[in-house]
Amino acid sequence: MAAKPCLKIKGRGKGPKGSSSSTTSSSSSKNELVKEWTNWSLKKAKVATQYGFIPLIIIIGMKSDPKPHLFQLLSPV
Amino acid sequence: MADLFPPLVTAQIDDKPKVDEKVDYSNLPCPVPYEELHREAYMSLKPDTFEGLRFDFTKGLNQKFGLCHSVMMGPTEVPSQSPDTVIKIPTAHYEFGANYIDPKLMLVGRVMTDGRQSARVRADLTDKLMVKANAQLANEPHMSQAMFNFDYMGSDYRAQLQFGNNALVGANYIQSVTPRLSLGGEVFWVGVPRKSGIGYAARYETDKMVASGQVASTGLMAMNYVQKVSDKVSLATDFMYNYFSREAVASVGYDYMLRQSRVRGKIDSNGVASALLEERLSMGLNFLMSAELDHKKKDYKFGFGLTVG
Repeated sequence: MAAKPCLKIKGRGKGPKGSSSSTTSSSSSKNELVKEWTNWSLKKAKVATQYGFIPLIIIIGMKSDPKPHLFQLLSPV
Repeated sequence: MADLFPPLVTAQIDDKPKVDEKVDYSNLPCPVPYEELHREAYMSLKPDTFEGLRFDFTKGLNQKFGLCHSVMMGPTEVPSQSPDTVIKIPTAHYEFGANYIDPKLMLVGRVMTDGRQSARVRADLTDKLMVKANAQLANEPHMSQAMFNFDYMGSDYRAQLQFGNNALVGANYIQSVTPRLSLGGEVFWVGVPRKSGIGYAARYETDKMVASGQVASTGLMAMNYVQKVSDKVSLATDFMYNYFSREAVASVGYDYMLRQSRVRGKIDSNGVASALLEERLSMGLNFLMSAELDHKKKDYKFGFGLTVG
């Protein structure tokens, strides 16, 4: 099972960025750590944007003045 | 970026106060942003023609917040191996979007039935500093793109810093040199195919015309000229030349802004003629018709649509 965490780390990085092949899961140089950390955070940011951006706009819009009703949000008229 | 929205009918050229004899060089107007250098020319010469049916419904819930629903059915082009043939696949999709537009903050998000999303954020951090972010996300890995811009607006200059994915870093700067002439430059560095580039741009505008030019080290040279013939008519012409691949394209276009409709058309040296008609049937109801004839590749695209709200 030692190969599994290895593959996961390799798969996380974006193709061009993950050019450094780390054969062990514990990366030694600081550069590797920074790259992995930025890749991980970019992935999470992408997922958060995908699921959360449009609900965020809707929440901000429903709170703005004058407050629209929920009915207006859902009705097709 | 401008493809997401129906074009706004705004005054093309700002009214500049009549300059008398002496030019006050310490009080020059702020130039247009670098990416909008060719704004007037591209309004006439690059209308967003489409193929198939398009129906857009925008519902405003209050002054700042609105939802929009859009249905598009038609053939979509798929990149093909040879440049002469065109492969099209009929698709249909529905797109849902939400807009929140405030003087200080603008949020626009769109999501399509095939999973693609686009998000745009524009926030004014202070009077002079603005942050913009633009992302197109897809479910497939490595197909998403994002770009962040930081814009600083000075009294007679603008500076912008850009960060994008694939390790793209860019900066550009534009300065008003006289009340009518502004000059600017940009540099960028891309990480993936390691390249960097530098470019220069100039823009000269008066009440009746705008001329702009741009040169870049990627081989691109573009010049365009727009003349506002009257309140309703403006004509534009454009010349693009790539000095590495020695390809040149010239185009001529027009933009008629009539009371009830707006017609834009252009013809190209590649044998492409296109036109877009937007007719205002009644308040808030617009009818669109678009045609693009590519005689060289024998690709003819026709589209019609309705925009409500």
